[in-house]
Amino acid sequence: MRVIVSVLTAGLGILALGLPVMAHHSGAAVFDNTKKIDLTGVVTKVEWVNPHAHFYIDVKDAAGKVTNWNLELASPSILVRNGWKRNSVKEGDMVTVTGSRARDNSNFGIAQTIVFPDGHKLNFLSAFEDGK
Amino acid sequence: MRERLIAGIALAVAVAALLVASLSAQAPAGDAKGKGKGGAAKGGNVGLYQRQPPTPTGPAPKLADGTPDLSGVWLGGGASDADISRSLKPGDSVVMLPWAEALVKTRQSKDDPESNCLPSGIPRGSPYPWRIAQTPGIYFIVFEGNIHSWRQIFMDGRKHPEDPELAWYGNSIGRWDGQTWVIDTIGFKDKFWFDYVGHPHTEKLHTTERYTRTDMGNLSIEVTIDDPGAYAKPFTTVGRARIMAGTELLEYICQEDNFDLQHISGPAQGPGGATR
Repeated sequence: MRVIVSVLTAGLGILALGLPVMAHHSGAAVFDNTKKIDLTGVVTKVEWVNPHAHFYIDVKDAAGKVTNWNLELASPSILVRNGWKRNSVKEGDMVTVTGSRARDNSNFGIAQTIVFPDGHKLNFLSAFEDGK
Repeated sequence: MRERLIAGIALAVAVAALLVASLSAQAPAGDAKGKGKGGAAKGGNVGLYQRQPPTPTGPAPKLADGTPDLSGVWLGGGASDADISRSLKPGDSVVMLPWAEALVKTRQSKDDPESNCLPSGIPRGSPYPWRIAQTPGIYFIVFEGNIHSWRQIFMDGRKHPEDPELAWYGNSIGRWDGQTWVIDTIGFKDKFWFDYVGHPHTEKLHTTERYTRTDMGNLSIEVTIDDPGAYAKPFTTVGRARIMAGTELLEYICQEDNFDLQHISGPAQGPGGATR
């Protein structure tokens, strides 16, 4: 049920066949919607840049091995019009990110939803939790 | 049982939401349609932008000399950026010459100039707003993306040069046909793709754009594409744009950090993965 609710949130206007509408390339040419990611970790760096903002998180597996993931967002111009601030995600934040992995299986993915420990959420395009 | 029923309903709503989003992705680039009953006239979603103010209503404005006033920030475009053949005027069709048909089948997404932060060309749109600025003798179209660029349209009655310098956006001259702004463009480099699926063009491309502000908030756009080097006959696309009342253009320097280009793979394809 929790999974379905998250799909509902993500589905409100931002997905096309499971991947967000990208700005300057096809989302399906970069990410594979069948390779879902669900990562929890600490933000190590935020790149507030064009054409896509992105941020990195350190994810520790059960054996204690740490892997750094690069997670993509829309452009800053889209994000700020939809309520994001450049410090909405910042170094040191603990976040849980769901999305899809890159087709090339690198540690790169699209951050379709970002959930903070206090429960507030952001998504690939918007800071408005209801998607409206 | 009750939980399964609730889960079923939730799933149905999720599928419906996905369908809406999917259909919106197939509409003309940055299509300004709002979602929900009453559309964006009541405010709400405009393209990818949420919580936008209502579209201004009323008659199309005019400048002091009576010329239609097209100035402002617009969202939308003349054709689907996913596949130009989705935006045709009823009865029209895109008929590629054999070499062009063969080329489209081999094109790769990573080679799309748009993915490489190069200009989108005409009439390919983007999800980003753009501005029309009217000054005496010359009008400008200023793009936020893709890419942060501009077009100049000469309105002083001049003709095209006999041998224009080739350019991504060509050489544009404009005139008024009643309430419709008509732009005639030749002299294109053969570089940009019409869409994500890779429809090509040649240096013989000649476009005729027709912009009509139908009311305060809406702009109808028709673009006739005549390229005997790549297509068996001309075709016309139909699109529209809507005024973005609550925003100004923002900076979008695509070349700043195009880090995901290295991850793009596969055939040229639209946002949902559809190929030609």
